[in-house]
Amino acid sequence: MMRAFEYVRATDTARAVEMVTADPNTSYLAGGTTQLDLMKDGVLAPERLVDITHLPLRGVTGGRGALRVGALTTMEELAADTTVVERIPFVRDALLLGASTQLRNMATIAGNLLQRTRCRYFRDPAVAACNKRERGSGCAAMTGTARMHAILGTSPHCIALHASDVAVPLVALDAILRVQGRDGARGVPLTRFYLTPGDTPDVENLLRHGELITAVEIPLPALGTRSGYLKVRDRVSYEFALTSAAAALLIEDGIIVEARVGLGGVGTVPWRAREAEEILIGAPATMEVFRQSAERALEGARTISGTAFKVELAKRTLVRILRTVSGVVA
Amino acid sequence: MTSAMNEPRPAGVLIGQGLDRLDGPLKVTGAAPYPSDFDLPGMAYASLVRSTIASGRISRIDRGPAEAAPGVLAVVTHENAPKLGRGPKTILGAAPPPPLRDDRILHHGQFVAVVVAETAEQAAEAARLVQPEYDAADPVLDLADPRAKVRDDPWHVDMRRGNLDAGLAAADVTFQATYTTPENTNNPLGLFATVAAWEGDTLTVHDSTQWPYNTRGALARSFGVPERGVRVLAPFVGGGFGSGLRAWPHVILAALAARIIERPVKLVLTRPQMFTAVGHRPNTVQNVRLGATRDGRLLAIEHTSDSPVAMEDDNLEPITLGTSTAYACPNLITRDRQIRLNVPCPGSMRAPGEAQGNFALESALDELSYDLGMDPVRLRLVNESTVHPQTGLPWSSRAMRECYLQGAERFGWSLRSPEPRSMRDGDWLVGYGMAGASFLHYQAKCQARASIDRDGTAYVRSAGTDIGTGTYTVMTQLAAETLGLRTDRVRLGLGDTDLPMAPQAGGSGLTGALGGAVHAACVRLVHDFLRLVRNDPESPLRGCDLEDITLHDGRIQRTDDPTRGETYAGILARHGLEELTADGDSSPPRGDMIALVGSMVTSRLGRFGRAAVRATRAVAPAGACGAKFVEVRVDPDLGLLRVTRIVSVIDGGRILNEKTARSQITGAVVGGIGMAMFEETITDAGTGRIANATFGDYLIAVNADIPEMDVHFVGEPDPANPIGTKGVGEIGLVGIAPAIANAVYHATGRRVRSLPITIDRLL
Ligand SMILES: Cc1cc2nc3c(=O)[nH]c(=O)nc-3n(C[C@H](O)[C@H](O)[C@H](O)COP(=O)(O)OP(=O)(O)OC[C@H]3O[C@@H](n4cnc5c(N)ncnc54)[C@H](O)[C@@H]3O)c2cc1C
Ligand code: SF4
Repeated sequence: MMRAFEYVRATDTARAVEMVTADPNTSYLAGGTTQLDLMKDGVLAPERLVDITHLPLRGVTGGRGALRVGALTTMEELAADTTVVERIPFVRDALLLGASTQLRNMATIAGNLLQRTRCRYFRDPAVAACNKRERGSGCAAMTGTARMHAILGTSPHCIALHASDVAVPLVALDAILRVQGRDGARGVPLTRFYLTPGDTPDVENLLRHGELITAVEIPLPALGTRSGYLKVRDRVSYEFALTSAAAALLIEDGIIVEARVGLGGVGTVPWRAREAEEILIGAPATMEVFRQSAERALEGARTISGTAFKVELAKRTLVRILRTVSGVVA
Repeated sequence: MTSAMNEPRPAGVLIGQGLDRLDGPLKVTGAAPYPSDFDLPGMAYASLVRSTIASGRISRIDRGPAEAAPGVLAVVTHENAPKLGRGPKTILGAAPPPPLRDDRILHHGQFVAVVVAETAEQAAEAARLVQPEYDAADPVLDLADPRAKVRDDPWHVDMRRGNLDAGLAAADVTFQATYTTPENTNNPLGLFATVAAWEGDTLTVHDSTQWPYNTRGALARSFGVPERGVRVLAPFVGGGFGSGLRAWPHVILAALAARIIERPVKLVLTRPQMFTAVGHRPNTVQNVRLGATRDGRLLAIEHTSDSPVAMEDDNLEPITLGTSTAYACPNLITRDRQIRLNVPCPGSMRAPGEAQGNFALESALDELSYDLGMDPVRLRLVNESTVHPQTGLPWSSRAMRECYLQGAERFGWSLRSPEPRSMRDGDWLVGYGMAGASFLHYQAKCQARASIDRDGTAYVRSAGTDIGTGTYTVMTQLAAETLGLRTDRVRLGLGDTDLPMAPQAGGSGLTGALGGAVHAACVRLVHDFLRLVRNDPESPLRGCDLEDITLHDGRIQRTDDPTRGETYAGILARHGLEELTADGDSSPPRGDMIALVGSMVTSRLGRFGRAAVRATRAVAPAGACGAKFVEVRVDPDLGLLRVTRIVSVIDGGRILNEKTARSQITGAVVGGIGMAMFEETITDAGTGRIANATFGDYLIAVNADIPEMDVHFVGEPDPANPIGTKGVGEIGLVGIAPAIANAVYHATGRRVRSLPITIDRLL
C-alpha cells in the first residue's frame, strides 16, 4: 500500500511510450481511478508511473462516418459530446450510469476500457488463490461468494467480470482502438481486443507492455438507428451492473434491418451478442423475437450458485432494452 | 433551515426549537478536532497486522523483516508483548479479551501484531512484512454447525407469560415462519482512531469512543495503572452507530505501542479493519409463531432467535426481548440463543437486537393480517397495550395509537387496495406496507457540572459524547433555557473524562440521562445564587426561593415584580467571587428494562438485580415508539425495488430540538433502507474472511435510493424522565425493514423473509 514509486509526467507521446516499453516495472497513469486503487490495495506495485494526462490525446473529432475519441477524453467529456448525444445516445447513457460524477471527471476513456475486474479476491492480496494475480494459484471466487461475477466467456480458471459499462455499446458498435507502440501504430477492433481467461486469466487483452492507446474510433450507425442502454443493479446509482444490455436497432416497416447488441455484467469480456443479432436482423420487432434472441444470447452461460440468477436476469434485461428501443408495446 | 434560527436565542422559548447545530460551522470548515486530527510532538504511527485464518495457532511469526524496514521503531507480537489486563465488565458484558495474549487465532482478521514507525506509510508497509505462519484449524462459522457451543438464555431475559400451548390451541388462526437477517456493519464515516501519549503512568488518549469513561477504565485495567491517571478525550467523533461503545483491542494496542516506544502514537484503522475490529450487527435466524382470534386478538406469541457471538467475547443483544413488550398478548415465550463462532465479535449497531427482532415480528404480523383478512394497521391497533404487557404496570406514556392513526392519515393508507399485486403504475407494481416499532427504555446514571462566571456566561460540562447526533446543541438549549441565558452565553464541554461521569451515547439513553443531569446542575446553580443572596441586604432577591423568581437574559428577577432583580454577574462581583459552580446528576427510573438486563448480566441476578426485580413500581418506563408507512415500486420483470415514500410517526416524549430529532429519524430511516435492501456483510464459508469489506463491495444506500421522508412527532413529555425525553437515536430505524418487506409483499405477492431484499430475491 505504501511502497515508494517514482512519478514522471510525460509531455511527449513517443518518449512516454519509450519509457514504459523499456521497463517492465513502469506503468501508465491516466485518471488513476483504477491504477492507484490497485496500488493502494497492494495488487499492483510498479516502480514508476508515467503520467500521460498532459499528452495531447484529449478531445472528440470527426463526425460523419466515425468519431475519433482521444484516449485521454474523460467519461464526462465524451458523454457531453453532441454527436454522441445525437447519434449514439446509448454510449452517453452507459457513461453516465457508470461510477460517480467525481470519478467520471477523472476517468479517461482508455483507462475505462483497461479497468481491471472488481473481483473481491483479485483485489485482496491476502487471498492466495487468484489465477489472475498469480497464474496457477487457483480461484477463490469459484468457491466463495461470487454474485458480481461472469457467466459468459468463463473458464475453470477464472470467472472475473469485465465491469466496464461503456465498453458494452462500444463493442456493439465495432469500435477500434488506435494503439501506438515503440515500433509503430496499429488499429485493434475492440471486439477482438479482449481475451477470455482460458488458462491464462492474467492476460486480459492484446495490448503489449508499453503500447499506448491513443484514440478510440467509433463508427457511427446508420441515420435513423435508435439505441439504448439498460443497467440493472440493486442501488439506483453508483454501483456496477448485475446485468446490462446495449442495443442499437434500425427498424423499417416493423422489420429489424440492423441490430447491434452488447451485454454487460455477464461476460469475462465486454460481450458482443452476435447470436442475438442474428435472430433479430430481418425479423419483425416483436416480443417473441426479442425473447428468442435473448435465449440465444445466453445459451453458453455457465454459472455457480451465486451467479445462477443472472441468466434469466440478463435475458430479461435484453428483452426490456429491445422493447424500449423499438417502442414495441408489451 | 434559516440562518435566523441560529441567532442567539433568548431563554424561555428554547426547548423544542429547531436550532441549527451549534457545531455545524466547526464541522463544515474542518475546524472540529476529530481524534485522528490530533498530532503530538514526537508522534509515531502504528499499523496493525491481521490474521489470515479464522481458527488455529500462530506457528511462527518473524519480526525480523519488519524490524529491518525503514523507519520502524517497534514490532510487537504475542511473543514480545507484555501481559495486559482485561477491561472491566459493563452493561454490555465482559470487555474484549486483551490483544496479543497468546498464539491462538479465534477469528479471521484478529490482530496479531502492531508495527510502529516514524510515518504512517512506513508503518503500513512494514506491517505487510509481518507474515505469520499458522497451524490452521477448521473454523466454526455456521450457526448450524453441530460443533458450535450454544449459550441458552445468555442474558437471563428470556420471557414467558401465560401458557403458550393453550394460547395456540385456543386460537382461530395460527401462523409460523422463519426469518433471517444477515450480518451488517456499522460503518461510521470516521475511521476509528486512537492517539495515545504516556508520561510515566499517566496516559492521555484521543479516541473515537461513544463512552470515554468506559475506555478510561479499560485502559487503566489493561496496563494496571490508576484510573485517575488516564484521560480519554472525544470531543468530536465521526459517527459510531454503536461501534464506539466498547474499548476494542486497537485502542489498547495504540496505547501499548506508545508505552513501548515511549512516544505518542497515532493509529487509524483502515476501512477493511473497520469490518473486523469494532463490532457489527450479528446475523439472526428467527422463528415466530402466532395465534389469534378471528377478530385479530393475539392469543399466543412465540419468538426465538439464534445469533452468533465471538469465541471468547460478549455481546449484549437480545433479539426477541422487544417482542415481550410490543403487544398485548396473554401467552408468550421469547427465547434467545447465542452461538459461539470463529467470527469477529458482533456488537451494538443502531437498535441492536430490536432491528432484527422487529423485522421478524412485524413481518409475521403482516402475514397474519392476510391470513385473517384484516387490515395490518387495524391488527396492530387491536393488540396495542395500554399497560406494560409483561408486568401489567401502566406505561409512563405511550402514544402508539396516535402513531398508527396519524401515520395512516399522513400516508394515505386508506387508498390502499388490500389485495396483493393490485396496484400498478406502468411497468411498476405499487405496494403499501407498514410496521410498528417499540423501543425498550434505557437510562443510566449521569453527572454534569454547571458554572457561571464573572462575565455572566455559563460553562456546562459532562464526559458524555456528541457522536454527531446533536448533543452539543440540545444540551446548550436545555442549559440556556434552565439558566435563563441566551444560547451564545452558554459554552458546553463534552467528551472528556476529566469532566463529570457520563454513560455511553447508546441505547437511545444519553439525552435523557445527560439532560437530567444538566438540568439538575443548572437548577442547583440558580438555587446556589439565591442562597448567596438570601441574607444579602443589598440584593433585591433577598429571601427569594426558586418559586419566587424568573430568569431573563442573565438576570434573576422577582416574579411578583420583574423590575426587581439582578444579574448573575452582578451577584458574583458583589460577593467577590470569580464563579459559582454546581453539580447535578440523574438516575434511571425504577423498572428500566435494559438496566435490569444489565444488572443481571453483570451480577447474574446478584443483590441489585434481585432487588430491582422485586421493587414495586408504579409505572413502566416506556421507550420511544412509532409507526412506519412505506410505499414501494417493484419492476417484477427485472426485480427492481424502489422505495418511493416513507412516513414515520414517532412518540419520542419531549422533543428538545425539532431539527436534530428529525435528523436522527431520517438518518435512521436511511440506515433502515440499507438494512432492508442493500447491507450484507459476507463471510466466506471456508475461510471466515469477510469478502466485501470495502465501500465498493458493501453497499449502503446512496442519495438516489432515498425518497421523501416525512417525520412527525406525537406524544407528551414522559414523566419517567425529569426532562420528559425518551431518546430518538434508534427508533427511526426499527420497523423500516419489515415495512419495506411488507410493502414488497403487497406489491408483488412475494414474501421475502430474508434480508436484504435484493434483485435476485425478487425475480
Ligand atoms: C468506486 C468506483 C466505481 C466505478 N464504477 C464504474 C461503473 O459503474 N462503470 C464503469 O464502467 N466503470 C466504473 N469504474 C471504473 C472507472 O470507470 C475506471 O476506473 C476508469 O474509467 C479508469 O480510467 P482512468 O483514467 O482513471 O485509468 P487509470 O486508473 O489511470 O488506468 C487504468 C489502467 O489503464 C492503463 N492506461 C490508462 N490509459 C492508458 C492508455 N492511454 N494507454 C495504455 N494504457 C493506459 C493504466 O496503466 C492502468 O493500468 C468505477 C471505479 C471506481 C473506483
Ligand atoms: S475469478 Fe478470476 S480474478 Fe477472481 S479470484 Fe478467480 S481467478 Fe482471480
